Amino acid sequence: MEQMLVYLAYAAAALGALAVYAALPREGRPASRGVVLTLVAAAVGALLLLMGQLLGEAGQRVYFYVLSLLTLGGAVRVVTHPRPVYAALFFVMVVLSTAALMVLVGAEFLAAALVIVYAGAILVTYVFVIMLAQQSAPQSGGMFAQALQYDRDSREPMAAVLVGFVLVGTIAGVIVNYEWTGLAEYKTTAAEGNTLALGRVLLTDFAVSVELAGLLLTVAMVGAIALARKRIPQHDEGEPELAPGEIGKRVSPF
Amino acid sequence: MEFVRRHPIFAALSALFVLAIGTLVGAAVIWSAFSEQIKAILDDQFYFSVILSLVLFGLIMGAVAYSILLERKISAWVQDRYGPNRVGPYGVLQPIADGLKFLLKEDVIPANVDKSLFLVAPWMIFIVGLVGFAVIPWGGAFRWPWMDADAPPLVAQVASVDIGLLYILAVSSMGVYGVVLGGWSSNNKYSFYGAMRAAAQMLSYEIPLGMAVLVAILSTGMLRLEQMTEYQAQHGWLVMYHPIAALILFITALAEANRMPFDLAESEQELIGGYHTEYSAMKLAMFFLAEYAHMITSSALIVCLYFGGTHVPGWHWLNTSESAAAMLARMGVMGAKVFLFICLYMLVRWTLPRFRYDQLMRLAWKSLVPLTMALVVIQVLIVYFDAWRWWALIGNAALLLVGAVFSVASGRRITGRQHSLRRAQGELMAYR
Repeated sequence: MEQMLVYLAYAAAALGALAVYAALPREGRPASRGVVLTLVAAAVGALLLLMGQLLGEAGQRVYFYVLSLLTLGGAVRVVTHPRPVYAALFFVMVVLSTAALMVLVGAEFLAAALVIVYAGAILVTYVFVIMLAQQSAPQSGGMFAQALQYDRDSREPMAAVLVGFVLVGTIAGVIVNYEWTGLAEYKTTAAEGNTLALGRVLLTDFAVSVELAGLLLTVAMVGAIALARKRIPQHDEGEPELAPGEIGKRVSPF
Repeated sequence: MEFVRRHPIFAALSALFVLAIGTLVGAAVIWSAFSEQIKAILDDQFYFSVILSLVLFGLIMGAVAYSILLERKISAWVQDRYGPNRVGPYGVLQPIADGLKFLLKEDVIPANVDKSLFLVAPWMIFIVGLVGFAVIPWGGAFRWPWMDADAPPLVAQVASVDIGLLYILAVSSMGVYGVVLGGWSSNNKYSFYGAMRAAAQMLSYEIPLGMAVLVAILSTGMLRLEQMTEYQAQHGWLVMYHPIAALILFITALAEANRMPFDLAESEQELIGGYHTEYSAMKLAMFFLAEYAHMITSSALIVCLYFGGTHVPGWHWLNTSESAAAMLARMGVMGAKVFLFICLYMLVRWTLPRFRYDQLMRLAWKSLVPLTMALVVIQVLIVYFDAWRWWALIGNAALLLVGAVFSVASGRRITGRQHSLRRAQGELMAYR
């Protein structure tokens, strides 16, 4: 049974890889929409089968399925959409539905942190940079008409899909096989709440990891400032310093 | 008399009167017929929350419409004018006229916009402005008159979640997208400049905002907003311990709502209208509604965090009673406090001039962030050593003192590039 589940996980990953490979934007011979849809449906079916076997009669399955399908669909569109701004927005969708999945299992703090950090800060910067790089454009003449050349054609579709989905398949196989023990000691009560318990665990059992993460972030910040720091002179060399009212007219000392 | 009867206002008022009577009669009939079922629904927290969220939505939309009138009236008062006074007595029907105008205007979608994002952006900013209301504790715990005295009380709050405050932070951090997408999809340079300014500004001011909120979290040791107000009812409002943090929270809330000293994103003189230049009719109205809804949410947040929420010192019945009347009174108190803050927002808008962009960034990164960091450190020390609570106020005073000494000793003005200007002036004076 276990073994079969592992193979099912591998099969789902392989079908997903095929679907994503077909869906990646290509200028030469893009796969027909029917092929892509069939592959996506097959991959989703395999995944649902796997999930059904894994979860059994676990409750809240409808929400779980809807949210995980949203997450996966968004993630696929992140890599296959030819317009970077839309890809970034699909990334936002992935983050939001992942946060909702976390709420579903009772990890509200992680959900809020994910939304604040990723959707609220990092992805805003992504969108910001992408928008600075590209002007928006009318969409007439097909979706590909306005996308730039390097967005219309994915660069190494085969290698990327292979690497990505081998990783996905391996992780899925391990998760399916893994015996989840040692979690009981971190069980929380409803009265205490997960946030409080998480804070306590992070600052006692895992204090060193938290400190190290903080140090890493500080180092990264210092590095960023050191790279970006550059003194901009208020005046060009040789140019006389003028009071604001005097700028534009020559003031001769004699 | 004839003039009064012919006036359209008279017709409108009598129609409203008939409508109100009809509603009352209808409600009474429905109540007498289905009172058991209605009571059963109202007793259930889930259905009550759903009803409350609908009621709050209506109330807040009304409040938003009238706060636009209030804004115009306050601006008129500040500038020594009358303000809108044509529609209805003292202009009280002006919001209805404005709303009708927005609804009936032609809804233009320019030819060269990125259509899907252009349509989504106003909704995005509008929804984000509204969903924050869910965790604000508007009225506290209460029981209906027909409920048993020992039944578990209902909570006049749409959702009482474990991470109440973080939820608000998460939601408000999503507010940038509406602005950025609206500006970018318009395919207009001015809109785009506005969106870029807004994004940089909102990202920068989120940091002092988060830290000012963190000071409140550290002081109370809680994340649920209703427990934080409870704490303040017992130990005194947090603004007494941390006045600087309260002020910083207010300043950053102004910046997050793109309100006046911080409204570079839509500055008319430079950018026409900023990110909503290309929008018209109801979509434009939604940007405004979102702005005002955001003002109400952030005022409610400030009230809950630093000004005691529904608490009024010395009024025992209001603070502790679990009757429905006390709940309504508490909602009224909350509404009054929010109203005061909104008036303050508006006075600030019509009093202070707009910042220059470098001043805006300097204020966030060079003064607000270090100040809030110092406040967090002060509060952390108090929590760690379990010290006397009023050390926080002393620490605040010391911080102000250090800041004053520092700014006097360094001899630099804190407004932008003024120091180079003054050096040039000094040279000029020496030359003369």
